[in-house]
Amino acid sequence: MDVLILGVLAASVVGLVALAERWSAPLRAAVEIDLAPSALPGYTLLSLSRGFAAYLLSLAFTLVVGTAAARSRAAERVLIPLLDVGQGIPVLGFLPGLVLGMVALFPRTNVGLELACIVMIFTGQVWNMAFSFYGSLKGVPAELYEVSRLHRFSRWKTFRTVELPSAVIGLVWNSMMSMAGGWFFLTVNEAFTLGGRDFRLPGIGSYMAVAIERGNVRAMLWAIVAMVAMIVAVDQLLWRPLVVWSQRFRSEERSGEPAPKSWVVELVGRSRLVRRLRRALRRRRARGGDEAAAGAAIHPATPGSGAARAGLRLLAAVALLAVSGAALWGGYEIALLLARVRAAEWGTLGAALGATTLRTAGALAASVLWTVPVGVLLGRSPAWSRRLQPVVQILASFPAPMLYPLVTGALLWARVPFTVVAAVLMVLGAQWYVLFNVLAGASAIPGDLCEAADVYAVTGVSRWRTLYLPAVFPYLVTGLVTAAGGAWNASIVAETITYRGGELSTFGLGSLITQATHEGNFPLLAAGVLTMSLALVLLNRTVWRRMYRLAATRFALNR
Amino acid sequence: MASASGSAPPPAPLASVSGVRKQFRDEEGHERLVLADVDFEVRRGEVVAVLGPSGCGKSTLLRILIGLVAPTAGTVSANGEPLEGIHPGAAVVFQNFALFPWLSVEDNVRVGLNGRDVSDADAARRVKEALVKVGLTGHERAMPKELSGGMKQRVGIARALVGGPELLCMDEPFSALDVMTAELLRAEVYRLWSDGGTGLSSVLLITHLIEEAVYLGDRIVVLGANPGTVRREIPNTLPHPREYRHPEFLRMVERVHEVVTGVHLPEEEEAPAPAVTVPGRPAAGPFVPVPAARVGEILGLLEILADRGGEMDLFELDAMTEWDFGRTIAVVKAAELLDLVDTPKNRVILTETGQAFVAAAPDEKPVLFRRRLLTLGLFATLVRELAREPDAAIRGDRMRDSLAERLPSEAIEPLFETIVGWGRFAQLLDYDARADEVGLFSGRQRDGE
Repeated sequence: MDVLILGVLAASVVGLVALAERWSAPLRAAVEIDLAPSALPGYTLLSLSRGFAAYLLSLAFTLVVGTAAARSRAAERVLIPLLDVGQGIPVLGFLPGLVLGMVALFPRTNVGLELACIVMIFTGQVWNMAFSFYGSLKGVPAELYEVSRLHRFSRWKTFRTVELPSAVIGLVWNSMMSMAGGWFFLTVNEAFTLGGRDFRLPGIGSYMAVAIERGNVRAMLWAIVAMVAMIVAVDQLLWRPLVVWSQRFRSEERSGEPAPKSWVVELVGRSRLVRRLRRALRRRRARGGDEAAAGAAIHPATPGSGAARAGLRLLAAVALLAVSGAALWGGYEIALLLARVRAAEWGTLGAALGATTLRTAGALAASVLWTVPVGVLLGRSPAWSRRLQPVVQILASFPAPMLYPLVTGALLWARVPFTVVAAVLMVLGAQWYVLFNVLAGASAIPGDLCEAADVYAVTGVSRWRTLYLPAVFPYLVTGLVTAAGGAWNASIVAETITYRGGELSTFGLGSLITQATHEGNFPLLAAGVLTMSLALVLLNRTVWRRMYRLAATRFALNR
Repeated sequence: MASASGSAPPPAPLASVSGVRKQFRDEEGHERLVLADVDFEVRRGEVVAVLGPSGCGKSTLLRILIGLVAPTAGTVSANGEPLEGIHPGAAVVFQNFALFPWLSVEDNVRVGLNGRDVSDADAARRVKEALVKVGLTGHERAMPKELSGGMKQRVGIARALVGGPELLCMDEPFSALDVMTAELLRAEVYRLWSDGGTGLSSVLLITHLIEEAVYLGDRIVVLGANPGTVRREIPNTLPHPREYRHPEFLRMVERVHEVVTGVHLPEEEEAPAPAVTVPGRPAAGPFVPVPAARVGEILGLLEILADRGGEMDLFELDAMTEWDFGRTIAVVKAAELLDLVDTPKNRVILTETGQAFVAAAPDEKPVLFRRRLLTLGLFATLVRELAREPDAAIRGDRMRDSLAERLPSEAIEPLFETIVGWGRFAQLLDYDARADEVGLFSGRQRDGE
């Protein structure tokens, strides 16, 4: 066991060095991708490192922005709506601008392209993390802040002892979700065409993209295997242990549900080396604590000086000005771009919006039809739901675009028209969120309600009507909101796909955006992305908000 | 109510179980024996109260009786026939009401008519009647969350009565309510049963409150815990309506108290453990579980006794504390196990050790407590086993598993918490909840080494 732990440490050092070499490689617009399976582990690790780099970026962003929004009214008023919009809009639409900008910044090395890819992954990860962190900070009991002020905690100490612990559980969960969400557009982020130019980075996403382009089914299958292996490994080696670790920050007693477990944690816990280390650390901390306490008694910390506070306020004002300035300038630029969109193109955009709306609605309805019964039936059996939840989680983490060619092949073979196939592709990844939530909802139904239904012979249809459907409704809404956002975003890669070397396309907002990207038609691209963003924000404000309210007032289970 | 008497053989009981055993697997995967060889029946025309401390399996017994839960072994009958599915004549009132939060009061009550062949008009009439009976007229369209606890339970009772059941099962029906509301509802339940307007034949009441059992029960069945077994049956012939302050009532309560005490605090049979032990070579007493009492509660008990001349009546003590009787008994039992008190009959007497304990300075108390703990087989064994471990520590899960193996009918988590609590106070054990590691107490002395 101890040898294993040391080995892992050594391996990560070697890995980091190798990665640094890769990054500074000279810029080649399109790297040749080797389709041999033996090249896959290397590609997978490269993609993984991008995912982690993006995650670190997300984490930093979350900590800074979340804290700012929770601490300052002014920042809150600006940042929260921004986050809300950011969460809803199709980030893929910003890829072209980002890539061109980054490549211009680093004309000689691959760094620009790498950074663009990482930022794209980042935009798929960051939103829910930031929201969760902000929410946790807002939920910190006022008494704890009062205690930290009474005892003159420094800002850093308040963050470490008050804020971070109350946010950790939510942050770990959302990190897990975010990491998964970040993979979604991997095939596109690592390989895409822009105005006739090919951009490619070595990675599992570009491997898949090339395999799809060449119609190499064997290579596709290998890529899928590698992706699943990566997701499972990250889940087992990183997230599970983190989830277990985060449980120590739970404030309330756990009620009945079994504590999360991780074999990695158990294994490490059994290691004698680790146990010794931990004990030594604890002893040191106990002594250090005494000294610190003695120190505090002699030199009471000075309260933050007025000058520093004024400086901070000035900094915040400058930052606010800068952000508003950038927003104004951006708005002006976009207005200029949009002015070049012809009236006929606006008409097409409207029609495309309608087509994609219909496709999303139909696809979501279909996914509800199968996930609700399945989720309830499985969720009612504790054994099954325990066994299935990790599986569904992995299915949800898997980047669905990697499966598009295979699913398309099967559906076209069954003579399904591509316009319907596109709808299926759009919910291919998103439907798992619905299933996941329904499963959770069904397993949260209180036992006495089920017993009451048993005693009073509430069976068959009336059991679904009086018990199951209302009980899972709030969970269903939560799942649908996530799924709808995912489906809209997926339309960009689902309505136009590469298939057997050729291209399949159906009319819709997503295919319009993809087409504009390929052709380098930036006015149309901007108009398309803007249309989709507005539509999504509008949907959130009307349909979903109303559903949430209904769920909270009519169907909440807290009694 | 209608009591069947005469020359004919007595009619079959409404519901009965015989030789019932129930084993559960808890979340940690430990098998736990909840009920062992239970024979029990609900006869026609009676109110029977099942009395026992929490965790004795009395709610499980109710669920087995009406077919909500299948027993591991034994037979279940309804009206003399083997029970299949849910008992046809039974209705249940749940502890936490179990109302559907998204249905109105009216629709919640209508659930009680589910699957019955009644017309809409007929159903509406019966729902209305049921609501009148429980005094909820005018609340038809209210949603459960608008109602107080007492009103919610009235809806629960209306839902149970609307189908005209023969057997009304109540699982701790008043324990989620405040004292006043509970008293009121108890009286109303009795009235509903006795005035015959509901068609009810029998009521089964599950409770942990002695007064409640004496107030409603014509027959009181006392369950013992770990595993749950029927220990005693006490007929209660007090005339109705019963009054809580009536001398007869109080005498009956005292009698039941005594029976419960006898069940849970039996006179000492085993030889007392040796008083002095050499640490490191503890005497091996029997490996028996310790009652789930907190150290603070035990110390509090000793203080109370010391303030009252070192001797008190058990019921007086119970009345003083705000615990339910099961809790009082657990604390007394713990103190007795540690030889800090003695309980001849229903007296609780401070022993010499107990007196020394009260007189000891705060920093001496842990030392005395540690000495007492090492006389217990459970602690002596655990300490010996820990000392054999390389770091004098093991994972908490391993200790839980080994406890579960040796004490199969014990609820492991509370026991583990008690052991840790006692061990910490005695500076005998150390538990790091973050690492889930139990070790021998090392204290600060070791840091200096």
